[in-house]
Amino acid sequence: MSKRQVAMVMDLNKCLGCQTCTIACKTLWTKREGMSHMYWNTVNTQPGTGTPHNYETMGGGFKDGVAQRGHRPTVEEFGKAWDFNHQEVAFGGKPDAHLMADGGHAGKGPNWDEDIGGGEYPNSYYFYLPRICNHCTHPACLEACPRKAIEKREEDGIVLINEDKCRGHRFCQEACPYKKIYYNEVEEVSQKCIFCYPRIDEGVTTACSRQCPGRIRFVGYLDDQEGPIFKLVHKYKVALPLHSEYGTRPNVFYVPPLSPPRLDENGDATDEPRIPTDYLISLFGPRVPDVLKKIEDERERVRNGETSELMDLLISRKWQDLFGPFTKHPRDAGRQMAQGSPVKFYKKGERP
Amino acid sequence: MRSQRVAKISDFLAPAASAWGQVAGEEISLMPTPLPMQPTEYIRNSWEGRPYGGVKSLRVASVHDGETWAIRATWQGVSPAGKDFPDALAVALPVSGKPALITMGGDGAPVQFLRWAANKDKPMSIVATGIGSSRPGAKIKSGAIGEASGDIWNVVITRALGFGQEVAPLVAGKKTQIGFAVWLGANDERAGIKAFSIDWAELALDA
Repeated sequence: MSKRQVAMVMDLNKCLGCQTCTIACKTLWTKREGMSHMYWNTVNTQPGTGTPHNYETMGGGFKDGVAQRGHRPTVEEFGKAWDFNHQEVAFGGKPDAHLMADGGHAGKGPNWDEDIGGGEYPNSYYFYLPRICNHCTHPACLEACPRKAIEKREEDGIVLINEDKCRGHRFCQEACPYKKIYYNEVEEVSQKCIFCYPRIDEGVTTACSRQCPGRIRFVGYLDDQEGPIFKLVHKYKVALPLHSEYGTRPNVFYVPPLSPPRLDENGDATDEPRIPTDYLISLFGPRVPDVLKKIEDERERVRNGETSELMDLLISRKWQDLFGPFTKHPRDAGRQMAQGSPVKFYKKGERP
Repeated sequence: MRSQRVAKISDFLAPAASAWGQVAGEEISLMPTPLPMQPTEYIRNSWEGRPYGGVKSLRVASVHDGETWAIRATWQGVSPAGKDFPDALAVALPVSGKPALITMGGDGAPVQFLRWAANKDKPMSIVATGIGSSRPGAKIKSGAIGEASGDIWNVVITRALGFGQEVAPLVAGKKTQIGFAVWLGANDERAGIKAFSIDWAELALDA
């Protein structure tokens, strides 16, 4: 057990599906060889198959505390990065050439089926679900690794793969029920979200949270009673883990989305939300109705002229309030690091 | 097993070299590594009831020329291309102490492995002092060539004679011990999911 646990809360009522988080992560961490198919941060529409496709059917995790066999996702299931024929179209001198992915034989990309929702008009619906590694308290990946190559940092609970110890056996990929571990075929190691630990170490929040235009991501320590995570998870109890039945005790939490009322056959509003509550329960567990009611009640209080700390927190008028103790500007941290930081990055085999 | 002294090791580097026909070989029996000894609950649970370590035996022969030692191993089990894990062969030699092969050595009793994999040009030198403890071993002049013919692998691994820190002793005129492990990639075999030679066999190098 780590001494402290850093965690993230994502308010799904505010996610725009803009993928800025995805690109912030991609440009910062997964540009090396062998990483083209890696999106440590993904945003998928729900209901949908997610990334990798149908990950919720791939097993792993724990049932009654017992490790469960899981499927090892293929690159194709994650969604292979497409190669486009830009050169041919722009400079090839062929007037008939048109833009194609993988010569016209592209498979599913990581966000395949995006914007396909559920329900029937006029009650069709969808919402966005961003996902990163959950940096679980009971990490199935860590427990599966025969090489003890996965570590959970004592100071903040961030789960990291030690690439010098990893031999690419990929039991971690099978064991992770959220399927957030990738395999780098060039470096022959498994790789995943590192919760931007070099930034966290310097007091800077994660790239995905800092770049988020919708201000949906809160970052901080679970036990910091003045911080946003403690308040959303423990004080107001409006942030829930995804698929807690997987048994890994994830440390990424979600504020489930409210939705407009379902319309009846006459087009009149009903008391039912358009996003079926049962569907949200299937993702976030049985406390969903309580959470939705709590948020609606607090909204009503604000409408009636009262104040609500919860609403102020969720609205995030002050951007820095999202990030707990991790409010330093990356530029300032960068300056400090340039003057001699302990943070160094090595490819496998380069470590002195 | 006898490692016969020959004039030129270069005659034995190719797995299909005719010179190997003059060297007496022997059969080494293999068995799957016991499931209870797998190092994590996930591996034990996920391989429960799944067959692995299906390569039942190896045919091995060995020679040296006073400078370089060579061993040829032949077995049935060639995986098709495009699998996540390669077919592989490891030759184990004790470095010092009296290591148990089944535990891949122990504290103060390291085992050195030369591991050939079908997707690599060179064997890896690995040292282990227990299950799950393997790490890159001492750099040593070594080589490997594997050739598949139908469903049969024919692999020659070579290594310089000598000894050193974490280099298992191979000395002309001396005896040591040798063990083997085989992985069938098409069956997702990797790490401890493999066939192994149960216990050490004697390896006697001609003077």
